[in-house]
Amino acid sequence: MDITFIKRFAFTSIGRKAVMAASGLLLGAFMLIHLAENLLLFKGEAFYNGWVDFLLTNPVTPFLEAALALIFVAHIIAGTWVRVEDFINSPGGYEARKWQGGRTIGSATMLYTAIAILAYLVYHMLTFRLVDHSMGFFQMVTSAFRRPVFVAVYVAGSAALALHLSHGMQSAFQTLGLNHPKYTPLIKVLGLLTAVAMVGFALISLYYLAGIDLKAAETGIEMVVIQ
Amino acid sequence: MTNNSKNFSVTVRVWRQAGPKEPGKMVSYKVKDVSPDTSFLEMLDILNDNLLKAGEHPVTFESDCREGICGSCGLVINGDVHGPDEHSTVCQLHMRRFKNGDVITVEPWRVKTFPILKDLAVDRSALDRVMKAGGFVSIPVGSAQDANAIPVEKDKAEEAMDAAACIGCGACVIACPNGAAMLFTGAKISQLALLPQGGPERARRALGMVEAMDREGFGNCSNEYECEAVCPKEVKVANIARMNREFLLANLASKR
Repeated sequence: MDITFIKRFAFTSIGRKAVMAASGLLLGAFMLIHLAENLLLFKGEAFYNGWVDFLLTNPVTPFLEAALALIFVAHIIAGTWVRVEDFINSPGGYEARKWQGGRTIGSATMLYTAIAILAYLVYHMLTFRLVDHSMGFFQMVTSAFRRPVFVAVYVAGSAALALHLSHGMQSAFQTLGLNHPKYTPLIKVLGLLTAVAMVGFALISLYYLAGIDLKAAETGIEMVVIQ
Repeated sequence: MTNNSKNFSVTVRVWRQAGPKEPGKMVSYKVKDVSPDTSFLEMLDILNDNLLKAGEHPVTFESDCREGICGSCGLVINGDVHGPDEHSTVCQLHMRRFKNGDVITVEPWRVKTFPILKDLAVDRSALDRVMKAGGFVSIPVGSAQDANAIPVEKDKAEEAMDAAACIGCGACVIACPNGAAMLFTGAKISQLALLPQGGPERARRALGMVEAMDREGFGNCSNEYECEAVCPKEVKVANIARMNREFLLANLASKR
């Protein structure tokens, strides 16, 4: 069997970029789903724990988790490879050099936000995934969100994620060959909205840090939840 | 040159390098009595006249048509690729953009893929080698056919023409934070991919040119569009998307 076409995804510039873009879009989609899951916290302890229980006892979950891990690894390897090559090839040594406004804060900091997101992910895994869950997931999450250090990491991580996605989402479509005056403006808006949505992770943690749920309970006002 | 009250003096700081392997350095020269109507390259010609009269080596720089269509000239002036004018080549830059007493920094294009030959002249043959890998139609065409024998959609003809406006100057490579040649290669693939005549060799062209571009050591596009901002011919980054599409489709949908 001729596997040249597979090799091209690893050993050509556009092939590697396509891997980075496709995995990036999938990860972006995952982040939106993950945010929606986090919002389930507002439906109360019983509902949230029930959802987590459904995920953990579902036989499909381990496969999805493995796929997600693979997508992550592909994104990291392709991204690092592209970036290392760019570092070697980048022009330099000018006395004076100006940018013409194409670069954005998001696009110029992709590598740094990537490193920050990886650190955020590791911290997230160590604090939520690889710990004792006996107190129940809702308790574990909300008590963590009442610790300032934890929330500080969450806010910083979410900001990095938002910045990364502000360039990454729309950029991925261009890399996959999708650029047309018909839909590119829409892609840019949706990409930016996805990036802004990442702030949601920080807001949820700040909500519990500020104790808004407790105050609501004290004053007898129940959180109104759309059923 | 006649004395004119509008004429002024500038200091030009130029990169001097005797040969490809020699060390280089910035050297300052005063150029007096420059008319605002002089083009930037003519100002360098005046500088070179002065240098020759003083028994020194003139500054080597490339130029040919001096009307913005050949792609020979290319400098970084005060940090701007092709100078301070938007979407323009260096030869179209005029001294009226500067004022008396200005210090103008003139540097060659600095990227590994375009090694410096001498002073401000660089070797851009890497772009020629990318072209050689498929940037053409190899079918013998014979004599001209009837004008409407091959129908071409108006929009596509326009887009192909816009891509074909690329003069191969290499400014996109220099503007790119990663030294990528994707706007160039994208334009060269697009100008043929959009037309029926380019159809039969489409897959071979896309795969061949992209692989040649990688072999030459050009970087990876990070979709920041600095290239589009400086391109003298305003070639659009949609051509890069088309190249990506052509390459990925050729990889997955052709026998190659």
